[in-house]
Amino acid sequence: MNRHHPWLSWPQISSEPMQVACHFCDTLQTAPRLRDGDGAYCCSCGERLFRNRPRSLAHATGYSLAALFFMGISHAFPFLIMTSGNVTTRLTLVQSASELAQQNNPLLAAAVVFFTIIAPLILVGGLLYVAAPLRYGISLPGAIVAARWFQKMEPWSMLEVFLLGLVVSLLKLGKLADLEFGTGLWSLIGLVLCSAAAIGGIDRLELWDRLEISRLPPAEIPEPAPPPRA
Amino acid sequence: MTPEPNPSPSPISAASQGLASCHVCGKVSPVTVGHCPRCDTPLHLRKPQSLERTWAFLIAAVILYIPANTMPIMTVQGIGGAEKNTILSGVVRFWEMKSYPVAIVIFTASVLIPLLKVIALVWLCLAARGRSQTAPRSLSRLYHITELLGRWSMVDVFVVAILVCLVQLGAIMTITPGPAALCFSAVVILTMFSAMSFDPRLIWDRHHEKPNPSSSLPSLPTNE
Repeated sequence: MNRHHPWLSWPQISSEPMQVACHFCDTLQTAPRLRDGDGAYCCSCGERLFRNRPRSLAHATGYSLAALFFMGISHAFPFLIMTSGNVTTRLTLVQSASELAQQNNPLLAAAVVFFTIIAPLILVGGLLYVAAPLRYGISLPGAIVAARWFQKMEPWSMLEVFLLGLVVSLLKLGKLADLEFGTGLWSLIGLVLCSAAAIGGIDRLELWDRLEISRLPPAEIPEPAPPPRA
Repeated sequence: MTPEPNPSPSPISAASQGLASCHVCGKVSPVTVGHCPRCDTPLHLRKPQSLERTWAFLIAAVILYIPANTMPIMTVQGIGGAEKNTILSGVVRFWEMKSYPVAIVIFTASVLIPLLKVIALVWLCLAARGRSQTAPRSLSRLYHITELLGRWSMVDVFVVAILVCLVQLGAIMTITPGPAALCFSAVVILTMFSAMSFDPRLIWDRHHEKPNPSSSLPSLPTNE
């Protein structure tokens, strides 16, 4: 459904045209306000400057909440159960790291823990902490720090790479033992999909505009500006 | 919506106006403010010591790439004694076992992508110093790809982690991670840091300050 949006759904700190510098070529330009789903591109190098994603905060809240649930499930249940002879191994994320630590590889274990547990948690948890109250114009204490952190964690959250690694090791092991997929695997897939949807669907312009507004005293909140010329 | 064609022949850079756009939130503010008024990130016109840091991470990654490929990434201990696998010997074994997809995935992620990434970053650094005639738009695309693909090299490290945990088949077989696993994950992390420290705006700075003599005519708007 393509709704007509005469103006933005969130207030602005100033009614003047927004100045944007392209992150790739540093061209200074005045950026237009966009309708739902449109994108703005740099007038010099053609890189995308930003996109207006409809209802981005609601999407981010929903998907990151779902991702947190999936995260809990995938830590509680093994994602792979392997039987060979009379030995049964149940694999969870924490266990794969602790096994590495026990074999005198604490650095490698720390890397696995960081990439598959800590970074996704900061990413998803931070997003939920910032986005959920911001829908109602509230920013919780530390929301700016949290927003900075989850943006930094984006490249380091490697659950989808871990899933590819799982596929490769299954193909390596396939003939050696009986393998059974556990609940954890499906929730892990759900976690990857939901966190990708949450991060991909967020409108950074809206997020930061709203964060900026929410820190102002109520009297200073500007009125929404008049609609742009068509 | 498609990108707009060039409306003005000589774009004004924010840096020339003393304006810095925040790395995190994108707000444009005068660089004299020091910290972004919106998100409190330190402001810079360009990433500080971008090229030096990119080179440093890159050189460290190249040095570690050698042990990562020559030392064993895991040791399989079975009844027939211990067998040490390097990354490449693993690929060769999969190819001989006719598991072509697995061999291709491992070869791409562990050998090809790190190598291409290093080459791409060297190229970008040289271009930022003005040693390359490649169009800046192609270089930006190269930078995008380098940033996107970097993390997928981690696959082999995760494979080792999963195998080490799964294979505890009593006395029949154990798998232990070799020194290459740590070296290789360091290579991936260092190349990711290297790509993050590179500032693509340096390429465009070079392009704007030294216009190509062959294109002295006003360039036609490209509709790409």
